Amino acid sequence: MIIKKIFIIFIFISQLLLSNSYSVEPDEILQNPKQELRARNISKNIRCMVCQNQSIDESDAPLAKDLRILIRNQIKDGKNDQEIYKFLTDRYGDFILLKPAFKLNTLVLWLLPLFFVVVGIFIIFLHNKKSKKI
Amino acid sequence: MKKQIFIVPFLFFILILLAFFYLLMTERNPSELPSNLLNKNVPKFEANSLIKNDKFISSEEFGNEIVLVNFFATWCKPCLEEHSYIKRFSSEKKIRIIGINYKDNKKTTINWLNKLGNPYSDIPIDKDGRIAIEWGVYGIPETFLINSKGVIKYKHIGPVTEKIYKKINILIEKIE
Amino acid sequence: MVPYIGNLALWLSLFFATSQFFISKKNNLKLIKISVNGLLISSLVSFFILMYSHIISDFSLLNVFQNSHTTKPMLYKISGMWGNHEGSMLLWILVLTIFNYFIFKFCKKNNSKFVLKTLETQAFISIGFILFTIITSNPFEKIIPVPENGLGFNPILQDPALAIHPPLLYIGYVGLSAAFSIGVATLSLNNYEKIPWYSYMKPFVITAWTFLTIGIALGSIWAYYELGWGGWWFWDPVENASFMPWLLATALLHTLIIVERKKSLQTWALLLSILAFLLSVVGTFLVRSGILTSVHTFALDPSRGIYILLFTAVLGIYALMLFWKKSEKFFDNNYFAFFSKEGSILLNNVLMVVVCATVFLGTIYPLLIEALTNNKISVGEPFYNSTVIPIITPAILVMGFGPLMSWTKEDKLKIFKKIFPSILFTGITTTFIFLFYQSYSAVGILGIILAFWIISNNLFMIFKKNRNYSTSMIISHLGVGLLILGITGSSVWQKEKITRMQIEDQTKIEKYTIFLEKIDEIKGPNYVALQGNFLVYDEDKNVITKLKPQNRFYPITNNFTTEASIHTNLLRDLYVVLGEGNLKDGWVVKFYFNPLVIWIWIGALVIFFGGIVSISKNLKKLRILN
Repeated sequence: MIIKKIFIIFIFISQLLLSNSYSVEPDEILQNPKQELRARNISKNIRCMVCQNQSIDESDAPLAKDLRILIRNQIKDGKNDQEIYKFLTDRYGDFILLKPAFKLNTLVLWLLPLFFVVVGIFIIFLHNKKSKKI
Repeated sequence: MKKQIFIVPFLFFILILLAFFYLLMTERNPSELPSNLLNKNVPKFEANSLIKNDKFISSEEFGNEIVLVNFFATWCKPCLEEHSYIKRFSSEKKIRIIGINYKDNKKTTINWLNKLGNPYSDIPIDKDGRIAIEWGVYGIPETFLINSKGVIKYKHIGPVTEKIYKKINILIEKIE
Repeated sequence: MVPYIGNLALWLSLFFATSQFFISKKNNLKLIKISVNGLLISSLVSFFILMYSHIISDFSLLNVFQNSHTTKPMLYKISGMWGNHEGSMLLWILVLTIFNYFIFKFCKKNNSKFVLKTLETQAFISIGFILFTIITSNPFEKIIPVPENGLGFNPILQDPALAIHPPLLYIGYVGLSAAFSIGVATLSLNNYEKIPWYSYMKPFVITAWTFLTIGIALGSIWAYYELGWGGWWFWDPVENASFMPWLLATALLHTLIIVERKKSLQTWALLLSILAFLLSVVGTFLVRSGILTSVHTFALDPSRGIYILLFTAVLGIYALMLFWKKSEKFFDNNYFAFFSKEGSILLNNVLMVVVCATVFLGTIYPLLIEALTNNKISVGEPFYNSTVIPIITPAILVMGFGPLMSWTKEDKLKIFKKIFPSILFTGITTTFIFLFYQSYSAVGILGIILAFWIISNNLFMIFKKNRNYSTSMIISHLGVGLLILGITGSSVWQKEKITRMQIEDQTKIEKYTIFLEKIDEIKGPNYVALQGNFLVYDEDKNVITKLKPQNRFYPITNNFTTEASIHTNLLRDLYVVLGEGNLKDGWVVKFYFNPLVIWIWIGALVIFFGGIVSISKNLKKLRILN
């Protein structure tokens, strides 16, 4: 019984060492706080492709870690945010951006809410006009 | 004018219904992720080779003939499961296969290939996963079909199954 | 043997629903009573038989095999029954038949035609869901040969908050069906009997809204405590599917207040009652059809999707055509000034609907783009933050003084005098808070202003001797203020520290010193875990608490989970997650300092409590009405 327990814990620990990393790790953090902040902000906008509903900033997945390190290296190399995003979308598509890019195919997405608000204001105005008639 | 406005919700609803029906009818796999590299040239990269003394240089290896690229590792269970299919590509279809060894140990990989058979004509080493990122890889195994002009024509995420094996074979016949 | 009875009960409920549908067209109250009661009893029987099968771990049932295991704690055996697709359908049906029963209870001689029409629609809805369950998702399907044990259950879902989350949510979704049925009945009967349909609709809407609120809140509470990175809302399509009906229910709730009092905006209320439930059903479609994957979605099956979409189509086309043809009769000429109580509710309504439309857009846009262009995009949190926050801000501002306004028309100077104290109070508290927290951000300032704006207005209403204000309204609105306070504090002032610690190392975050005492191996009922033992000291070197985050392994389902350890007080949460590591290199530890988080949950609870108060008041009113 005890042997079984030890065995299970051993398997567990070895699995832990083998596969899991837990989101931003202390050794990833850049020395320059401004650069680190940029890295965090970019990471928060990059989707973890192998997770559900997580950015690479939050995720434990190995791919997330690789991408976090890649972003930090590119920041250190002097690349700006646009270039880093382009690098990622060239390889992984627009899907990797949590904030949809402002492109032709997302025009409708970004403009419709504005349109809804305008319609809403219009409805209120219409009503206001009618009520003034009394 | 007044009466006409009451039809608006009905019309909107029909529109949305049609959109949903369309979504249902088109065969979508929501868990299937697209490849942004389809119909683009193979990414340029260089790497040490596991089995050859010379470096692996991508510009020399692609653009001559049809090639399969298979990202694999010894610690990956699905890679083990699909290995027989990878071997079949090499033996039956006589197609050149490049195996990119992902985040693995040299010795372990050599032993693994000796034991299970080596279908790869060359094996560039991707120690830190950078090459995988260049290829837009999410996780292994992933298999790419490259045409003779060095353009990526097809990508499969996950292990090659019987169905995918057949699909890739058909594609190999079709492309040049 | 027992499952056969369960299946029989399911078929019986179909029979009773069908009979209710046909009998309601005639005026036979005795037969209706039999149908309603029969429907309720048979759905109760099928529900509890499935639950019983889960409790005794009867693996001859496919549903039990797929979702349970002998080692699962009893609480989760029970709640696991409704935590899967097929079982949840039985829950849905049960709540439908319970609400059906309550609709029937309102039936008297003078309103029988109206109530019977409502029951007819409700019966149709019930038939739709029961038929769906029998055809595509029968939980009593057998598995042969009978396996020895089950496939277990996802351990992250084994949590008390999550256990009760579905029933509460379903009371919300299904309660809206009653509002829908009443709306349809009202439209089709032309209301010649001058029945106050809104007085019948209101208690159902308030009940649905109240439980939808607490259901959504519990889901977020679970996410915060369970998922290990302190997040509690992700704009996940399934979360959005619960948020959208909530928005429309809120709008409907407020509109019904006007309808009851002034008989204005009736057509708008009727439309909302139809749309709110339609959105609930569309939500069901999104979750169960397989057109999207999410942590929340159930097993994917396109045939289910086709059925639900067809059913939604029938319901929606029928109801909205009815609305198109018949609603003009309810269109009133009672106009009111924009600057009035009605005007502020109308503004709130419009903005709620705009937010709802925006969330709907964000949810289905990726699906449409993918279908049309074969290109996949994400619409994540940044999109919703950029759109929803600006739209909802004016609604919250108006929410502060809206209840203070008079009906029909309000004098601008008068209202300014009324709200001046709260403007002052908000200004003072906001300045004070920012001096204290020393962190300035536009969103933070906005959030705090909005929060204290609501809080102060409602507190002053309590202290005013003029008892003209609805207690439940004040309570719920106060809850919203607290909610905003919590959301702002926890997002804007969150501090995080990630570091590597060896045993007996210590580290600092904010004013706290944290000491890693030891790493233990723990054994739980169906898991083994590695546990970190952290001592937390305040600035005076007193021990505040011991935090014990765990990393668990569940051998049966082969799952790893991280369990955060949290110390909560009114001002902040201290949240610790244990990462990977070993004795040699030390362990990665992540600390979060989350200010004011508890106010999110307190706020939600207070909103819920206001709803409960309102439900009891409305029930009293209804008893008098009848």
